[in-house]
Amino acid sequence: MIFRAVEDADLIRKARQGDVEAYNLLISRWEKRVYNYLLRIVGEREDALDLSQDVFLKAYQNLRKLDDPARFAPWLFRIAHNEAFSAFRKRRPEGETLGEGEFPGLEVPGSGTTAFPMELSIAVTTALGKLNPEQREAVILKIYQGFKFEEMADILDCPVSTVKSRVYTALDLLKAQLAPLKSRGVT
Amino acid sequence: MSCSPFDLRDYLFGVLAEPDRRHVEVHVHSCAHCNEDLERLRLTHSTLLALRDEEVPQRIGFVSDKVFEPSPLRRAWQSLWGSSPKLGFASAAMLSAALVIFAFFRPAPAVSAPSADPAKIEQQVSARVTAAVEKAVSESEARQAGKAAALLAAAEHRFEQQRQGDLANMENLAQSVVVLQKQVNVSKSLVASLEESR
Repeated sequence: MIFRAVEDADLIRKARQGDVEAYNLLISRWEKRVYNYLLRIVGEREDALDLSQDVFLKAYQNLRKLDDPARFAPWLFRIAHNEAFSAFRKRRPEGETLGEGEFPGLEVPGSGTTAFPMELSIAVTTALGKLNPEQREAVILKIYQGFKFEEMADILDCPVSTVKSRVYTALDLLKAQLAPLKSRGVT
Repeated sequence: MSCSPFDLRDYLFGVLAEPDRRHVEVHVHSCAHCNEDLERLRLTHSTLLALRDEEVPQRIGFVSDKVFEPSPLRRAWQSLWGSSPKLGFASAAMLSAALVIFAFFRPAPAVSAPSADPAKIEQQVSARVTAAVEKAVSESEARQAGKAAALLAAAEHRFEQQRQGDLANMENLAQSVVVLQKQVNVSKSLVASLEESR
């Protein structure tokens, strides 16, 4: 991870000097993570792909505003977070907010593969779908993207205590649904 | 409710310091309830991780695509700003060029901005007009006085010449009278001598 951060910083420095290939390499390193984060937020592959392109374009245009290249990942995901919720606001009538359980239906990622059982994938997707949007995003950033709580606070623009509270509450809810499920041997 | 000395979720996410981690491990080893709770948390975590990342269905639009590619001018500009030596050289070159241009095309001295007060402007204009009129009048008077002096000098010169001429004529006339008087006297003496001789 340290090596990766060092290499990212070098690529960012080159990209800032106009080296397009360096930025291409940066995209290829991060596109899968950004795409999957957005896919779990918006629930549609096509939307996630469009948003990913917007994120990388916006990141390229604002690369000079990145103060610390070592913090590229939280900065990039902050852009992704803003793009995703900006897209939600455009779709939904003004004043209407996202409620629990009415987040866009998550597709079952990986359903076309045999890498893991379909039932488990559906169970996880269903359990995530029962969280409220803030809890779900917190879980996605912590569990799937592996960010530290401080980095999540930067991405979500809220205190660390709030981030922790969202993750821990969500984890308790998920535990109630998933732990018994797996212990019963659904796999 | 967990009776662990520290939050088991903190333990799960690895945010506890090493001594605190050991405390939790010792406690969990002896507490069946907390041990089960921690196992369920681990199970939940691993179950969630079973949902794997998908491959991106198509590559993200790279900035080398024509639509994103910056113009050569922009790339040169970005390259310039990204290099300290180049930037320093460019700054020095611009400063030198500015100095040369300033030396050749030095701007006229700045005229003091007129006062915005209309009364002051009127007063200044009036003073300038008065000064200009006085200057013109004095110049005209000087020119007139010069001309008059020249004319007077010329008239005096002509009068003096004429007077000198008249004086010369009068002297000539007086000499002629004297000569004529002498001739008359000579004639009279001749006549007298003739009469005496008869």
